Order: sequence, then C-alpha cells, then structure tokens
Amino acid sequence: MTLPDRTPVDAILIVDDEPQIRRVVRNALSEYAKDILEAESAGAGIDLAASAQPALIVLDLGLPDRDGAEVCQDLRSFTSAPIIVLSARQAFGEKEKLLDAGADDYLTKPFSTVELKARVRALLRRAAGPRREAIITAGHLTIDLAARSVRSGDDLIHLTPTEWNLLRVFIAHAGQTLTHAQLFKGVWHDASGDAQQYLRVYVGQLRRKLEHDPLRPTLIKTEPGVGYRLDLDD
Amino acid sequence: MTEITARNSVRKWILWFAILIAVTFAMFTIRERLDKAHIALAFLIVVLGGSAADGRALGLSLAGLAFLAFDVLFLPPYNTLVVANPLDYLVLLSFLITGVVSAQLLERQRRDAAVAVRRAEEIDRLAALGAETLNAPRAEQALDAIALVICRAMQTDSCEIYLREPSGALTLSTQAADAEVHADSGLLNFTVEHSEAAAERADGTLTLLGDVLEARDEPASDRLNDLRALGIPLSVRGRIVGALRLRAQKAFSLSADQRRVLGALSYYAALGAERVRLANAEDEAESLRRADKLKDALLAAVSHDLRTPLTAIKAIANEVWRGGDSERAQVIELEADRLAALVEDLLQLSQLNAGGVRLRIEINAIDDLIGAALQRVEAAHGTGRIEARMDDGGDMLVGRFDFSHAMRALTNLLENAFKYSPDDATITLLARRTGEFVEIEVGDDGRGVEPGDEQRIFEPFYRGRGIPDGVRGTGLGLSVARQLTEVQGGTLTYAPKPRGGSLFTITLPAADLPTA
Repeated sequence: MTLPDRTPVDAILIVDDEPQIRRVVRNALSEYAKDILEAESAGAGIDLAASAQPALIVLDLGLPDRDGAEVCQDLRSFTSAPIIVLSARQAFGEKEKLLDAGADDYLTKPFSTVELKARVRALLRRAAGPRREAIITAGHLTIDLAARSVRSGDDLIHLTPTEWNLLRVFIAHAGQTLTHAQLFKGVWHDASGDAQQYLRVYVGQLRRKLEHDPLRPTLIKTEPGVGYRLDLDD
Repeated sequence: MTEITARNSVRKWILWFAILIAVTFAMFTIRERLDKAHIALAFLIVVLGGSAADGRALGLSLAGLAFLAFDVLFLPPYNTLVVANPLDYLVLLSFLITGVVSAQLLERQRRDAAVAVRRAEEIDRLAALGAETLNAPRAEQALDAIALVICRAMQTDSCEIYLREPSGALTLSTQAADAEVHADSGLLNFTVEHSEAAAERADGTLTLLGDVLEARDEPASDRLNDLRALGIPLSVRGRIVGALRLRAQKAFSLSADQRRVLGALSYYAALGAERVRLANAEDEAESLRRADKLKDALLAAVSHDLRTPLTAIKAIANEVWRGGDSERAQVIELEADRLAALVEDLLQLSQLNAGGVRLRIEINAIDDLIGAALQRVEAAHGTGRIEARMDDGGDMLVGRFDFSHAMRALTNLLENAFKYSPDDATITLLARRTGEFVEIEVGDDGRGVEPGDEQRIFEPFYRGRGIPDGVRGTGLGLSVARQLTEVQGGTLTYAPKPRGGSLFTITLPAADLPTA
C-alpha cells in the first residue's frame, strides 16, 4: 500500500547542533515538506516548534544544552507532532526511555537516509489520520477488523483472544515502534502483570500464525532492545 | 557422657575400698610380725593409689578409713579407739597428714593435666579454624567466618572487621551481628592510632588496655570487665592492616579463657585482612595488565583498521567530487559501514572490559532472537545463504536472557561465517533445547580454525592464522560474542566440523512456559 496523497506538509523541524547532520536530514526530507526549519539548540528548537507548529520534528539527542528525554517531554506538552529521535549514544535502555517519554521513533547514528525517509513517511501518514479501513490487506493476509477475522489467501487463521488483541494494537499503531511496555498496556490495559514477561512469546506465536517465514518476518519486525513494529507497506 | 563417668567413678571407689579391705585383712592376719611403719606405708600406698585413680574425695575417704583401721586393729589395745602408747598418736597423726597432703598434691597434678588437655583441644580447634578460614575460596569469606567465630566465642552482639586502606582510612569489610548496636568510629581510630587494644566504657570513655591480650598467665584482668565495646588493632609483621571491634548493648566482660582465645583469633583476623588486601592488589594488577594488553592491541588495530577504510573513503570521495564515476560512491558507504561496525565492536568491548555491561534478563522467544539476527545480517549480505532450522517439534523455544546482547553475539557468529566461507556456500543455523539450555549452532564450510588456535580465536584482536588476505576483520567479533554470552550465564564454543568448516555453538539458559 502506498500513500495515495503525498502532498507535502507545511513544515518539518530539525533540531541538531551539527550542521553536517542538519544538511543530510534537510536533503533527505525536502520532498516531504514545503519548508524545512532548523534549530541548533534545544532552547531554539522548542521556541521554533511552539511558534511554527511543524508537522514533524527530527530531534538530535546529543544537544549541548538539554537532556534529550526532557526535551521530548517538553515538546509533548504542547505539540502532538510526531517526534523522531536521532542518537549516537547506545546507553542502556535509552531507546525505550525516549519512546516512553513521547518520542514516536528512534534512529541510531550512523543511519541511512533511506531508513530515515521510510520512518518519516510512516509517521506522517499516521499523523494524517488513523486508518479508517475495516479490511486491511498485507501481502497474503486479509485482516477484517469488524468481523475479527484473519485470512491467509482463503484459509481462515484462528487467533486466540490475546493474539487478536495484540494484532489490533499493532494495526492501530502501524509503522510505529511500540515498546514492550506500550504493547502490554495496549493489550492488557495495565502497566504491569504476570503476562508481561510472556509478551515476547505471544508475539512469537502470532508471528508463527501470520508470517510465511517466522524467522524472516515481513509484518511484525523486531526492534532489538526496544519493542516491535508492524509494517503493512513493505 | 557424665553417666559413664559417674559409673566409672563408682567402680573405682568399690575397687579401692576392696583393695583397702584386702590389705587390711592381709596385714591383720600377720599383725604380730608387722612394725607400725610397715602398716602406715602399706595404707599410704593405697591412699595414693586411690587419689591417683579418682581424685581427692576417694583419697581422703581412704585415708580416713585407713586411719580408723590403723587405730582400731593395729595399735594396742586392739578393737578400741584408745591408744596405749601416747607416742602412737603422733604416728596416727603423721599418717593422716601425709595421706591428706598427698591426696591434695595429686589432685592439683590432675587438674593441671586436665587444663593442659583442654588447652591442647583449644589449640586444635583454633588450628582447624585457621586452616578452614585461610582456605576459604575468597579472602572476604575467610574474614566473614572469623568474625562469626569471634562474635560467638566472646558472646558479644556484634563483631566487625575493618580493613585499613593505603590512605589510612578504615572501611568495614565484614560484620557478624546478632543485634543492631550503635557506636561511632572513635574507638577504632583510637585503637589504631595507639596500636593498642582499647576499651570503651559505659560512660563513653576510651582507655588503652596495653598488652592485655598477650599477657599469658595473668588471671582474668579487671581491665576487661564492664566493657561496652572493645577495639583491637590488627597487625601483621608490625604493620596495621585493619581493626576489629566487639560491641554489645549491655556491658560485657571477658574471662581469662576468652581473652586468650581472642588473642589468637584476632591474629587470624589480621591474617585474613592481609589476605583480602593482597587479593585486591592482585586483582588490580591483573586488570591493569589486561587493560594494558588491550590498549596495545587497540593501538595496533586502530592504526590499521581505521586508517584503511578512511583512506578508501577519502580517495573515492575525492574522485567523485572531481566528477569521477558516481557509482564509486557506493564504496564510500561500504567502508563507512565497516567503520561503524568497528566502532560498535570497540564500544562493546570497552564496556565489557570495564565490567559495565548492564543486563536485562527477560523471557525471550528464540524465533525472535534468530529472526532479529537474520534481519541484521541478511540486510548486509543478502538473503538465500542462511539455512535456518528450529528443531523444536512445533513448540516455541524460549530462553531467559538479554535479547540485545544475545542478538549481538549471534550476529557476530553469522558475520564471521559469511566472512570465512566461500561465496556460494550455505551457512547453517540450528536451534534446539538441551536440558536446561537452548543451543544455537552456526555452521559454515570455511577452512575452519588452525589446530592450536581453538581458544585463541576468542581473544580480543586475535586473528586466526591462515586467513586469506582479502578477508578483513577486527578480530573482535568472537571475543565480544563469547563475553556477551558468558555474562548472561551462557557459553560459546568452537568445534571443527567433521568434513571441514567450523561449528560455533551458543548456549543460553532455557525457560519453561507455564502450561496454560
């Protein structure tokens, strides 16, 4: 499925203190926005985000003036624009912390511009409005949200209630990386519980039912150390 | 035990009374021919024998009975307590005194012997404790054991052993405590400063105790009465290595026996403290040595492995900039990827070496682990080369491990297989459960590892001998992979495949799913 409507958004904001990285990101994203705004500090970035209301924010974590997670939370307090975070650090649990703090996606430097563009496309599409279709097709699969059924070709696939709920949460956030905690909360409406430790096993079982080759999933991708992402468009 | 002793004692009494009666009877039959001196001597021998056999009470009883028998049966007029010759009273009295005194003397000998036996046993116990504590696998465990023994033997509420840092500061190493006791460190500093045992009294005053623990024969010193805390400097070869503190909530005293044992035990504590200090110094030297070795290897690797791709990047970028073939820019990306991988390896290795790897052990599906590793390597090398198989009979394999670290280790093994096997050869990946572990095998059809290199390939920066020239690696992949699996309770081993090629096996702790 490709985006039928690719009208560029009004503005994308890039917050990074490195001019080289700003230039790379600007070149990569110029086709998605009429205007690319740049800020080289957290302070200037927050001001610009408040005044210009960009449709998407690319935020570097290694800013000299503020901690990345804090900036994320500040931005979240007044804008719902998707935030994609760039980081050169590989601190323990950082990705998960940032996603839980309100970031929508995360890329580790060095990243490829192809990857960046794909993530930005997915985020913009989701921000444009939730999926309205009741029937979703992805590869060989047909998922009918209203009838709560999944078919592979003509064969009906039986899902347990937990597996169905997992799939529903994935579809609601298609293209977005979900942390384990977010997934768990989406399925069990609770922040913790016994089932939490088996979340990865449920995802594994869902994959065995939906994927052609569960070891090479095309639908439910693993983001190591962070969570999972449903890709309907590949 | 006491019952047996009592029964033995009764037997001895009966025996010696029988002997006394027998001797008396024997002498009675020939009393006309006996001199008073013979009789006194014969009775004395019986009294001494009885004393030696069962102590003072038997000795004195025998002396008393012999005295009566002597008087009644052997001194005229017979069969009365009356004695005809007044000088015979002197004989009787001398006999009695001699009997009593010898019984007393023998008793003292017996006591000294018993004390000697007790001390020998005590020394045995101390020697056993010493051997036990000094043989403890870790130096700190030895100190724990000593502190506990001291606390029990002295019947105090707490015994703490402090180590003295090179800076002179005292740090708590171990504490054996039955109750929470509060005290400030004044006593410890005081005792160390004066290199002398010191007492803290109930009113908080500190007094030096001199060599009270070494004094051998002094009876229980009143210096060791009414203590609230007792501080003892621990020294080995004249150097203070730590301090020991005994504390109790109520005032306590130490008996002469306890004092003597404490003297010996505190020397063990000093030896234990010294052992901890030496072990720490050794650890530090070892990690310095390893860091140094790593630094050398790192410098060598950096100069080669970083410069080579940088040279290529610089040259090709320049070409492209001057209007050369823009397709060549792809080489820039490849070389940059290689640099990125190297930087990632180096970061991982430095974290592992600094002991700074944090683990998030969770229940993970092996499907997921293998899938994530395949996604990573197939993105770089293309699909179709790896044949992955789950030997799980349809049930999902599940383990308890850190996902990111395990994936890194598995990715490194797959990268390694790509690097060292022919371009069209299949790489096999097989996962199965073996007992308490999940096993993942990565097999390739490369040339394998030269004999003798099987362990060295896991050392950082070591590159196996006989590697073709075109193959470039950092020599970090296997080392990082092994360390990452070992920190989470797994293993990574190498075995040659029977028909050539390598088989690397990762094991990770397995988990069981609750039966639904």
